Amino acid sequence: MRPFKYSTINDIKSATNRLATNDNARYLAGGTNILDLMKEDVERPDELVDISRLKLAAVQPITTGANKGGISIGALGKNTETANHPLIRQAYPLLSQAILAGASAQIRNMATNGGNLNQRTRCPYFYEVSMPCNKREPGSGCGALKGINRMHAIFGWSEKCVAVHPSDMCIALVALDAIVNVQGPNGQQRSIPFEDYHRLPGDNPEKDNTLNPGELITSIHIPRNNFADRSYYLKVRDRASYAFALVSVGAALEMNGSNILTARIALGGVAHKPWRAKEAENFLAGKPATVENFRRAAEMEMKNAMTLEHNDFKVELGTRAIVRALSQAMKGGKHEELPA
Amino acid sequence: MSEPIKTVGQGINRVDGFLKVTGAARYATDYPVKNLAHAVIFKSTVAAGEILAIDTIEAEKAPGVLSVITHQNAPKLNPNGGLRGGGLLQETKIHFHGQHIGVVVAETFEQARYASRLVKVEYSKQTPRTDFEKLEKEASTPKDKDKADIVRGDVDTAFSSAEFKLDVVYETPIEHHHPMEPHSTIAVWEGEKLTLYNGSQIVNGAQSSAANTLNIPAANVRIVTPHIGGGFGSKGGQWANLVLTAIAAKMVNRPVKLALTRQQMVNSAGLRQRNLQRIRLAATKEGKLTVLAHETTTHCAMNGEFVEPCGDCSKVMYEVPNAKIAYKVVPMNLILPTYTRGPGKATGSFALESAMDELAHQLKLDPIEFRIKNEPARDPLNGKPFSSRTTVQCLQAGAKAFGWEKRKMEPGTNQHGDYMVGYGVAAGTYPARQRDSSAMIRLNRTGKDIKATIELAASDLGTGTHTIIAQTAADGLGIPVSNIDVRIGDSALPPAAGSVGSVGAASFANAVNDACIKITDELILKSGKQFPVRPMASALMASENLKEFQTRVDAKPSPEADNYSCHSFNANFAEVWVNAATGMVKVHRFLAVTGAGKILNPKTARSQIIGGNIWGIGMALTEESVVDPRYGNFVTRSFADYHIPANLDIGTLDTIFIDEDDPITNKLGVKGIGEVSIVGVAAAVANAIYNATGIRVRDLPITPDKLIRKV
Amino acid sequence: MQENLENDSLSNDEKQLLDELLSESNDEIAGYGAQRRLFLKQMSAAGAAILFTQLIGPQELFANPVYEPLISDLPASSMENSVRVGFKVNGASRSLNVDSRMTLLDTLRERLELTGTKKGCDHGQCGACTVIVDGKRVLSCLTLAASCESKTVTTIEGLAKDGKLHPMQAAFVKHDGFQCGFCTPGQICSAVALMGEAAAGEISYVTADVRKKSTSLKLSDEEIRERMSGNLCRCGAYPNIVAAIREVHTGKNTAIAWQFAADDNEKARSTGA
Repeated sequence: MRPFKYSTINDIKSATNRLATNDNARYLAGGTNILDLMKEDVERPDELVDISRLKLAAVQPITTGANKGGISIGALGKNTETANHPLIRQAYPLLSQAILAGASAQIRNMATNGGNLNQRTRCPYFYEVSMPCNKREPGSGCGALKGINRMHAIFGWSEKCVAVHPSDMCIALVALDAIVNVQGPNGQQRSIPFEDYHRLPGDNPEKDNTLNPGELITSIHIPRNNFADRSYYLKVRDRASYAFALVSVGAALEMNGSNILTARIALGGVAHKPWRAKEAENFLAGKPATVENFRRAAEMEMKNAMTLEHNDFKVELGTRAIVRALSQAMKGGKHEELPA
Repeated sequence: MSEPIKTVGQGINRVDGFLKVTGAARYATDYPVKNLAHAVIFKSTVAAGEILAIDTIEAEKAPGVLSVITHQNAPKLNPNGGLRGGGLLQETKIHFHGQHIGVVVAETFEQARYASRLVKVEYSKQTPRTDFEKLEKEASTPKDKDKADIVRGDVDTAFSSAEFKLDVVYETPIEHHHPMEPHSTIAVWEGEKLTLYNGSQIVNGAQSSAANTLNIPAANVRIVTPHIGGGFGSKGGQWANLVLTAIAAKMVNRPVKLALTRQQMVNSAGLRQRNLQRIRLAATKEGKLTVLAHETTTHCAMNGEFVEPCGDCSKVMYEVPNAKIAYKVVPMNLILPTYTRGPGKATGSFALESAMDELAHQLKLDPIEFRIKNEPARDPLNGKPFSSRTTVQCLQAGAKAFGWEKRKMEPGTNQHGDYMVGYGVAAGTYPARQRDSSAMIRLNRTGKDIKATIELAASDLGTGTHTIIAQTAADGLGIPVSNIDVRIGDSALPPAAGSVGSVGAASFANAVNDACIKITDELILKSGKQFPVRPMASALMASENLKEFQTRVDAKPSPEADNYSCHSFNANFAEVWVNAATGMVKVHRFLAVTGAGKILNPKTARSQIIGGNIWGIGMALTEESVVDPRYGNFVTRSFADYHIPANLDIGTLDTIFIDEDDPITNKLGVKGIGEVSIVGVAAAVANAIYNATGIRVRDLPITPDKLIRKV
Repeated sequence: MQENLENDSLSNDEKQLLDELLSESNDEIAGYGAQRRLFLKQMSAAGAAILFTQLIGPQELFANPVYEPLISDLPASSMENSVRVGFKVNGASRSLNVDSRMTLLDTLRERLELTGTKKGCDHGQCGACTVIVDGKRVLSCLTLAASCESKTVTTIEGLAKDGKLHPMQAAFVKHDGFQCGFCTPGQICSAVALMGEAAAGEISYVTADVRKKSTSLKLSDEEIRERMSGNLCRCGAYPNIVAAIREVHTGKNTAIAWQFAADDNEKARSTGA
């Protein structure tokens, strides 16, 4: 870890100005990812601006504007608080489940909502400075493309980068059409649809998202929806807990009688960004909620997958996981326990 | 004073438990040593080649840096002094990725870590030999004489004519020990005397290998290791970090602390090697085995050979007229493999016991019945009688307790909603041995209060050594456990065996027991009296009005044990639930039945058994170290990538001990449990997965992708 | 219930020791320098031979010139990017200069002589460094000391109170919730905080219905397992850890079960502790 200047800052403007004037400065919120990366010498800031004491933690109903009736989640709220907030649990259970599928209790107590969006890939080539990685060091090559890529992308990757975004929370947020509110150095605010917040790697995998320099997430808005009765987050992983996803699925359904009015399906562990399964969603709209339709929808989405040497299993796994997540959502989205 | 209740065999609480739950137990880096400097190791980023130049100028100029040590300025060490794996900064040649190439010493850890990133190294790179799938064809017979071919009968002829048979290869990946305490050392020089605080499963071994490597007398080296944060074989033989800390301390003329990072652990302290095990197994239609050939192909290091004995279980488990045990090994640019929990037996039993399950299915026999049909009367390898053998008892007691009759013979037929349920069984064994150990007893009496101090250079890596020594001494001397002061984990104490190969409990407890007998004999002699009933040492201290008395014993294993085949045995039962949609497997219930002789403390013994079971479950389902052969580096360097089981992975675990008395193995009949507890576990889980799904997975770990590909 | 637990799991020596040890205010016990040495000295002097199992007992430790109590504060000039930080640890107020890079974990271990908190991975992947900050369990390896200004930290050394081990510590002893003991301080801190989370009705990944209102939860074994999955234990003490937590959580005394199967397999007997 390189030497860095540490400062605490008490207002958003000073924070964004600090970052605008120093390209090598980074925000420090929960610290769970940046400190990890600094110890590995992957992140090398010369200044950390501690924003954790900014008043940006509230979870509250949105009472005005286009998203009236939805909910606003403060960027600096802790993951644990968000998952447990009564309004989230009641109206956005998919988000609670997704957050709780990630990391561990300790990390969720530290990690912030905004930080969750900005966490970087867990690709082992990204994490080891002696190995090539275009995301860490543009132009050095992608170690995973022809390397060990069992955990890597099957959608939207480029020759430059096959890494995946590691978040669970973001899978729920993209499925729920969330909006990311940010503030820039000059006080300018803008709102970014969640799907546009994270990027595909293309030729610039070093850029994970569409934030401009110095921009700070202030809150995340989720519009009101009718999915609460039928949503489910399914995470498939190598270990029962405390492990990143092989594939995860956030699924939500709104019914019109026995037919599906709207389906939302998002996938984790498959792409450089949280992946919306739009083809599957479109197919399901207006159709009866049957396992057969779920399967056809899933296959339709997964046929677009481009697999690498070690991750072809994600196609079949993803297909089954979509079917199961939708089926569980139809059953009310409860977590199943094995009989004692 | 009245005689206390016997404590051996009682499940008393761990005597060091209080220290461990309050944070007061000191591990290697917990000592508040004065004037301490901090060291960080830096490692090769190529797997094969030569160091051309190391530029340390920038690192040396960094704030707080006291010294940067490389092969250019390191003192001359003896590379054959007994440390494993190389990396002693004595050469420019690179044998594997992550070989230690230098140490930065600084005032603080933060400064040392930063400066270690400033060192620039120029290499001449060679193509690393790290692609085992290609190199295994070059494998040849190991130099190790224990790995020479063992052949009985005519395997090829018998196999070709057999009606029921199996010829398959089982694969196990590289695994890492990953004790929770990374390898760490504090080195303190006082003149010529060196104290090393360092987790050491073999206290005297660490002492001699450090001394020999440093070219100084063993008497000048003291190892202090009262508590060890896990080892599992990786802290048996010691590695370069031990002596690099010592030379760093010498060079900066201050005490130095050096802890490996978790990421550095993958290429610093050994590994369990990848194995390809070809099994040929044949039987008559009645289920009598006719052939067992167990041929292992594996890798070792470029700078050393180690081959874990995968064929060991196959030597003793079953009666079979035509048998072959053979090994082949190929050197690769990886760190030297080493002993890992249940060395050879954990992996070997996965192959053997999976094959037994496969053949039982072919024969339409219950796998328990099939095993019992092939139970040997004597050790098939050498014809020696078994000192005691509990395989059949373990299988039968386990079947009854586990509800084996509920198992469906036909795989894939036990469906519960989205889950496929299956039962599996596998047996296992591990040798039981006692090793030379000395022990000192000091008795001190104040009025009616008698305290005993027991001293020996034994070790406790969580196995419960402190506790079983206290119990053995309490019973042997006739004083309460709370009056026993157990002093272990220090090479200044009488020499003792290590906590390795399941020899610890037998060696330590027998030494302490012998010392109790000897001190009582000496007290009787000193009294000059005849006693109708042999008195306890505690009573003699009082009756003879002695304030202090002490003795020392050098205990040795009984030569009689050599005439027998002495082993612990077990049977493992697993019930798995496989999610058909996700391929995720839950070991919902697991039962280990173990015949391991005298159980000194069933509470700590049970803990060790379930610990070994959990290791086996990890081996079966989650653990795998993966090398990128282009770089020779692991891509699974952290706990986020190398999945040791987490709490949620583990269902209900039950333990049954077979009550057995085996005075032949050793006087106390203690056989050891740490190793046998992992043997057969992975096979039981894999067999249960087959029973649940009809899918036979022959390469571990059985991760969701492997089941999804085949369901 | 908790009294029973402690009675069950402590020897007389340990009880006597604790009485002596914890007779003074918690501030002093968990304090530093002289107070800390007093704590350790009492631990040795209490006559519990068990405590001497550690070869270099604290008495010996500080009698030996090799050792010295750490000097927790250092001049700002001795480090780069020094940050002055003040926080409470185990009830005692501390104020010191730290290198901005220093984690809370390294500060506790290297500067405040609180070595009970362990470094298992230093990257937030094992839980050995778990401490309780402002009532929440967090990872001290991913917490900068500089960011702890005005916070309240509780470590394993600060859990015993009012002459008693914390019930969770006692339950870990009784249920043998450890082997090597290295992950144990983190496990216990995590488990202590978990009791508060359950009382507050917090949900987990395995909670059947997250929409159901919950004020105080009775945790199933599966819930305990999931909520403790952030604390890895390589020795494999998980079932014992779950049993210890279950006992504290439910208030019901339970025995550890193992069986001995006799030769004829008929006289199988169960034993509990």
